[in-house]
Amino acid sequence: MEELGKIHQLIVPLFGHNMVFNLEVIFMTWIVIAILILFGIATTRKKSMLPGSLQVIGELFVAQLYDLTEDALDRKLAKTYAPLIFALFLFLVLGNWIGMVPHLGEPTKDLNTPLSLGLMGFVIAHYAGIKSKGFKAYAKEYFEPIFFMMPLNVIGELAKIVSISFRLFGNIMGGSIIILVVSHLTWSIVFPPFLNAFFGLFVGAIQAFVFTMLTVVYISVQVK
Amino acid sequence: MAYDIQTWVSVAAYIGGGVAIGLGAVGAAIGEGYTAAFASSAISRSPNLSGEIFKSMLVGQAIAESASIFALVIAMILLFSDFSSQSSLMIFVPISAGLSMGFGAIGSGVGSGFPAGAACTGISRQPAMSARLTTNMLIGSAVCQTPAIFALVTSFILLFTNFSSSPVSPTWAAILGAGLASGLGAIGSGLGGGLVAGASCEGIARQPKSETTVTNVMLLGQAVTQTTAIYGLLVSFILLFKIFAPTDSIAAAMALLGAGISIGLGAIGPGIGEGFTAKSAVAAIAKNQKATGEITRVMLVGQAVSESTGIYSLVISLVLIFVI
Repeated sequence: MEELGKIHQLIVPLFGHNMVFNLEVIFMTWIVIAILILFGIATTRKKSMLPGSLQVIGELFVAQLYDLTEDALDRKLAKTYAPLIFALFLFLVLGNWIGMVPHLGEPTKDLNTPLSLGLMGFVIAHYAGIKSKGFKAYAKEYFEPIFFMMPLNVIGELAKIVSISFRLFGNIMGGSIIILVVSHLTWSIVFPPFLNAFFGLFVGAIQAFVFTMLTVVYISVQVK
Repeated sequence: MAYDIQTWVSVAAYIGGGVAIGLGAVGAAIGEGYTAAFASSAISRSPNLSGEIFKSMLVGQAIAESASIFALVIAMILLFSDFSSQSSLMIFVPISAGLSMGFGAIGSGVGSGFPAGAACTGISRQPAMSARLTTNMLIGSAVCQTPAIFALVTSFILLFTNFSSSPVSPTWAAILGAGLASGLGAIGSGLGGGLVAGASCEGIARQPKSETTVTNVMLLGQAVTQTTAIYGLLVSFILLFKIFAPTDSIAAAMALLGAGISIGLGAIGPGIGEGFTAKSAVAAIAKNQKATGEITRVMLVGQAVSESTGIYSLVISLVLIFVI
């Protein structure tokens, strides 16, 4: 229970400011990235018309996620944004699941990770909007339905970043605290596997899916 | 008779524990009863499926109950942990944790009952879809639990943060406000998310082909429905982690309490209202899959308008915290 809320930080002083690095989160993020890269290499190494088992898994992922993207965006945009969506989803799923391995922790448990991913989605969505509609039409949407709704529209857009990132953060962080506390209360007998299955596997996968889908939908709302 | 601070801290822990599980038991019980009612009528419609429907009812009820189990965990911690502190701030911490979890469990408990009930009815209507219906129900109910998990997070942070170095005067109000913001804020979103999930189970039972689309739109609708609960969580975090200057003025403290109450109560309405919007949208998409894009867009815009009242509350909360 003592480890709750303790964060290993590397603080680098730079021109009078302190740059703070959360070491654990960085390590975990890199582990997730490394596993994903290895997975990518393994699934594409031996490409053939008669796919091996690894290639089938990779193709399954790509086909499923591509269909999802194409449902929300149209075909042309889906081609552009699908790789981003795959990467986002796989990173989030693996990031949410990695906490089930002892001594590893979810990078998404730290608000910085979901917040930066949410910010990324926000920037991409608005870039796509400006690119497809032109800046004038894009800016005009903020003054609809009436001009004085502008501040509310801006707050509403900014609130999207907050909501998308806090949802992921709250779920993963809440799940990991529950697992820790209940395991502590029951001396790690019987309960932890079930808790890990529910909060790790199940909630982790669902929240990764929700985050990815919302990013796609935010892009599609801006584009149309 | 004068009591020392330690006595009052214990008193507060017992009261907090009672509030947590007392309020926390309300929602799940209603939700589970709702599920069982629909399971009964489903069995009367097709008695030969009683085993399938009974199983689905139990699974659905187990998920609905998890909100209450969260409350039970918090109540247990409050009753059996040793809160030894000489700071009178610790009197407010257990009460706030109890309020947060107690209120927070209500919405998700009731809400999770809707998809389970709809799944039971759906199985009796469309037995071939029973496995898919159960999966969809599980996803819907699990997302529905998110607001309760937010309330749980706030309770845990309250219980495990060390407030001993904070000034008593405005911090006591911030602590109470944080609990109320997350707790009350979770009610509407929990209920609303349940409405959406219920509609999606019904839609899949009526139109099995629409399954993927309906599940996706359900997740989207639920996610937007939860936005106001997230505002509540955000205000709680600000109240808990911002460092407030010590003050003797009761007004400054009350501003922080008011901030919590503002977003807490303000989040209830939008949560339920957005739930209604998404519920109808999901039902409409199940009937007419071709119009999915159009309906989704109208749903999102409608939810955004419904949410604007929640944003007003958020703005007032932030003004109360940062400006006044």
